[in-house]
Amino acid sequence: MTTMTRRRLLRDLKKLQEDTPSGICAAPCDNNILVWHAVIFGPADTPFEDGTFKLVLEFTEEYPNRPPGVRFVSKMFHPNVYADGNICLDILQNRWSPTYDVSAILTSIQSLLDEPNPNSPANSQASELYVKNRREYEKKVKAIVEQSWVAFGDDKDDKDKKAK
Amino acid sequence: MEEQTETTMAPGERMDVDGGGYVPLQPEPEDDEPLTGAPFVIKKFSPVFFWSWDVHSDSCAICRVMLMEPCLNCQVNNKTSCVVVWGECNHAFHNCCMAAWIKSGSSSSGTAGTGSKCPLCQAEWIIQRVGN
Repeated sequence: MTTMTRRRLLRDLKKLQEDTPSGICAAPCDNNILVWHAVIFGPADTPFEDGTFKLVLEFTEEYPNRPPGVRFVSKMFHPNVYADGNICLDILQNRWSPTYDVSAILTSIQSLLDEPNPNSPANSQASELYVKNRREYEKKVKAIVEQSWVAFGDDKDDKDKKAK
Repeated sequence: MEEQTETTMAPGERMDVDGGGYVPLQPEPEDDEPLTGAPFVIKKFSPVFFWSWDVHSDSCAICRVMLMEPCLNCQVNNKTSCVVVWGECNHAFHNCCMAAWIKSGSSSSGTAGTGSKCPLCQAEWIIQRVGN
């Protein structure tokens, strides 16, 4: 089972390298193929445009029969993203299918950015603003877009320090 | 003439191409006459067939390995007896991959109903056939 999960993840990586969806980068950690780092670029013509949002995907030995844990490392302001970065997305929970792969997961999260579901709020403030005050919502989103560039370098330095 | 052709070749009836390419299957005395009078003789009949796998996709959507090869798990364990399972929705997977998905217990969650769902189309999973 162990090896099967890893082989499947290698296939995911190969597919990602051969056919990279636009605005998505992902690669496993050097020393652990079960942990992946990813970057999603905010889709053009949305308030998230130009954002570089980092995510971590944590797979278990049960992948692909169980979904990975996926969370934003970069600060996010979105109706379906919790304060700790965890994402409320049906395909990562009860609608998971073993036919999904890393590419499909990240593409789904990318499209969730501009198509939030205010009916299952994970961030009540973001959800309320999205429905009632779109201008203020977009202002808050623009702020985290700018933060995503700053935190981009900082986060890496922190990791390197911890590794040493 | 048309009626005669229909009686010799019933719909769904197969031509015996292995047995020397004899067409039609049952010789009828009336048909024999124009054949003997034909200005040529068929000496050899060599049909060429094109084939493809009778499945929508040729790789397993769960493990991403070609369906005619053993699944990822069987490859790891050096097993070669890996069969393919078709659902009534016509989606095909390795039987091992589908069994592991159903066993994981996640296959019936989500939409209404308690039965397992096809991982590709979410239709109720009913096995149509198992084989190669």
